[in-house]
Amino acid sequence: MLEGGKIDAWQAVFLNVIMVAATALLSAPAIMAAQAGHDGWLSALLATMLGLPIAWITVKLSSLYPGQTLIQYLEDIIGRWPGKALGLLYLLYFTHITSIMTREYGGFLVDVFLIGTPITAVNAIALSISAYIIKLGLEVLARSNQIFFPWIMVSLVLTFLLVIPEMDLTKFQPVLEAGGLEIFKGSLAPWAWHGEIIAFAMVIPFLAKPGEAGKIVILTFIILGLIFFLLVVVGLAVFGPGLANMNYPILNVTRVIALARVIERPEPLIMTVWVAGGLFKVTFFYYIIVLGSAQLLQLKSYRPLVLPVGIILTALSINIAGNTLEMFGFIAHYWPFYALSTFEFGFPAALLGIALIKNRGIKGK
Amino acid sequence: MAFFSRRRKKPGRTSSVDARPNSRESSRDNKERTTQSLLLSPALEENLSHLKKIFTDCSDVVFREFLFAQREQIKLALVYIDGLTNKSQVSDQIMRALSLEVPAATDNTAITKANALHYVKMRGLCVHQVKETEKLQEAVDAILSGDSILLVDGHATAVINGSRGWEARSIEESQIQGVVRGPRESFVETLRTNTSLLRRKVKNKDLKIESLTLGEVTRTDIAVAYLKGIVNEGLVTEVKQRLARIKIDGILESGYIEELIRDNPMSMFPTVGYTDRPDRVAANLLEGRVAIFVDGTPMVLTVPHFFVEAIQTPEDYYEQSIFTTFVRLLRIGSLIIALTLPSLYVSIISFHQEMLPTPLLLSIAAQREAVPFPVFVEALLMEIAFEIIREAGIRLPRQVGQAISIVAALIVGQAAVQAGLVAGATIIVVALTAMASFVVYYSGSLAFRLLRFPLMFLAASFGLFGLIGGLIVIVVHMTSLRSFGVPYLAPIGPLVPGDLKDSFVRAPWWAMKKRPHLVGQNNPVREVSGMRPKPPQSTTQKGGDADAGRRQN
Repeated sequence: MLEGGKIDAWQAVFLNVIMVAATALLSAPAIMAAQAGHDGWLSALLATMLGLPIAWITVKLSSLYPGQTLIQYLEDIIGRWPGKALGLLYLLYFTHITSIMTREYGGFLVDVFLIGTPITAVNAIALSISAYIIKLGLEVLARSNQIFFPWIMVSLVLTFLLVIPEMDLTKFQPVLEAGGLEIFKGSLAPWAWHGEIIAFAMVIPFLAKPGEAGKIVILTFIILGLIFFLLVVVGLAVFGPGLANMNYPILNVTRVIALARVIERPEPLIMTVWVAGGLFKVTFFYYIIVLGSAQLLQLKSYRPLVLPVGIILTALSINIAGNTLEMFGFIAHYWPFYALSTFEFGFPAALLGIALIKNRGIKGK
Repeated sequence: MAFFSRRRKKPGRTSSVDARPNSRESSRDNKERTTQSLLLSPALEENLSHLKKIFTDCSDVVFREFLFAQREQIKLALVYIDGLTNKSQVSDQIMRALSLEVPAATDNTAITKANALHYVKMRGLCVHQVKETEKLQEAVDAILSGDSILLVDGHATAVINGSRGWEARSIEESQIQGVVRGPRESFVETLRTNTSLLRRKVKNKDLKIESLTLGEVTRTDIAVAYLKGIVNEGLVTEVKQRLARIKIDGILESGYIEELIRDNPMSMFPTVGYTDRPDRVAANLLEGRVAIFVDGTPMVLTVPHFFVEAIQTPEDYYEQSIFTTFVRLLRIGSLIIALTLPSLYVSIISFHQEMLPTPLLLSIAAQREAVPFPVFVEALLMEIAFEIIREAGIRLPRQVGQAISIVAALIVGQAAVQAGLVAGATIIVVALTAMASFVVYYSGSLAFRLLRFPLMFLAASFGLFGLIGGLIVIVVHMTSLRSFGVPYLAPIGPLVPGDLKDSFVRAPWWAMKKRPHLVGQNNPVREVSGMRPKPPQSTTQKGGDADAGRRQN
């Protein structure tokens, strides 16, 4: 067994929420508002709805092949070598998005707080911390995440509460000014974000009770839906559709907080907590790459892969985009199509189809 | 060269030891070879000469030969270590009883050499605890642990008299964990006194106190205490196994054992708890833990040990729960301050000045105007200065204490600010950090005292990002720790919702129905439910109508 640890249902929910939401905190509202204007909140709701089928496919596939991760059951579904090839592609995809999110975080810190610090230093430190966590295993990752998760939620809720004086609900009027197409376009990027839930297929076998996977994703989606919805609503209520022009809209929301001349501009503290979330997100995907590679290569332990993968991720995270705007452009305009049509939705749906037909065949015999 | 020649000589000497067992060089191994298998002989003289050989050059061993009162040809000998035995007991109840007093009523059977032992033991000795042995080694061990042995001529048996009694510190108030409300007594250096203090708290046959001896040279007595029926048997076995592994020359304090039985030997965090309070040990046993007593130290180890125990004190359970909850939150705040305040200060002053309200920022900037160093160097200097003062405060002879405190207060406090070496704000931060680190359980705060410095360095390099990165590493490390197989951070990570009632908050006693899940699951129920006190039904009836209405509610 590559991974001896077990995680319980709540730890899985927290991991899933962090896995999807941590990067969305930074830029998702702007991307939604860019397409749907002040009806961006509808895009958020739509994205969560659209994400549910992906979650269902993930859980269904795992329930058909209990005890196996995505990389392992690929071989069962489409045969050994095609399965290995697709598994490799999946790992490359995970490597790709992990380096993007590392870049996103490093870029955010370098752009906003550590101006002048080379992004290499920030990314290398973040990935070293991740490597340390992965060395200790999934259980430690889940438990540490469980400790930081409440703080992330508290910081979100606190932000939402403290900016209430700055909100103006008339900024939502007129409702449904944007057409259905715009709202759908706005929901594409958040949909792809929700689609990252496919990575959950890599840890379902390590749940203490794998049968609870269905409940876990439903709970995850309720929390995710609320987070995405509130992010957009608060962003829009404070700034209006002008949100679309901001790189880090929620950062700007926290910047307007001023309470009784005591709490002024608490954004470094709040952002620090979110950086912790981002680190756990990166760690989770990093872990999946390492675990998946070990399973693909049928190694006895995944630990020898931690360092090489970390170095690849660090190098990629620096070279994946020339600058922040280029990266956001990719996330907003290309990534949803690329991710949804293949690894997040297209492939899993096809795999489920094949698996169901095969299983029916077996039962027929 | 001298060293080599000495070593070369040694084999020659040891070979002579085999011929003459009373050689001064006789090592423990040798003694064991000669005495382990040996039985006592019926001849008193032979026994005595054996013992005298074994205790060659042990000036504190007393050999006292005397004659039996009832029949003078029966010789007796008493062997004990001066200072380890209760002198009056040895003189009055053993020697006086045997050599002077004739039993008031004698039956007709004559005392002969053959039945002397029986007679001595049953009629003569006035000692509460008597044991017999035929093995020389057991007799030697008994002498060494403070018992006196009585040899009777003609019998290959030694009578071990429980006459231990040595100078010991009396039971005093706990020095490391004081309380306002609660028992005052604390453990002392004597194992038996300590176990008796525990037994006084838990008067139950299920309180098991198993003893063993560790330390090849010091032969230190160890006792493993647990409550059968509450403790998880696997834990007891594990503790005993880990103790049995220990092969070391000496155990002078429970810290030796702690470091030898830990799960994570290189971690800064204590995964074995210690206390000198009997009530804390009793409470730990009641929750399903195991206590390890070590002779010679008042510090008793308890396992498994959780991180939350750093913010728990015995008084928490005696004082009312709402106030205790407040104090617990205060302690958590202190813990966070002790760990992060200097690094938070450094990162805010160096990177995130916008977080401070403008007047405060201006005042700090004015203070720092004359300071020549960056804030990190300034804070680091003051933190190190404080650590020096703290260490000096523990080590210095009592007589010079006053001088040190004046120097510390004047130089580090006032003069440093006046000289413009540090800003006043830095002093406040350092002082608050120092005080906060004393609020929590002492050994729990040691790790945080150390980790402050790397965190300050990270904060100076990367601001709050460095700080949170460091915190994540610390938390991750703590989550990976285990204490006897139980996660160290429980009940926070992994979250055990039922156990949160005794972590950040302290639920009232009537609400703490279950023992902590991870240590007490063997026997989870602590008390019957429904004990929440209610006022009795009112019997004095004044206004019938009003009272009826109340009863309906």
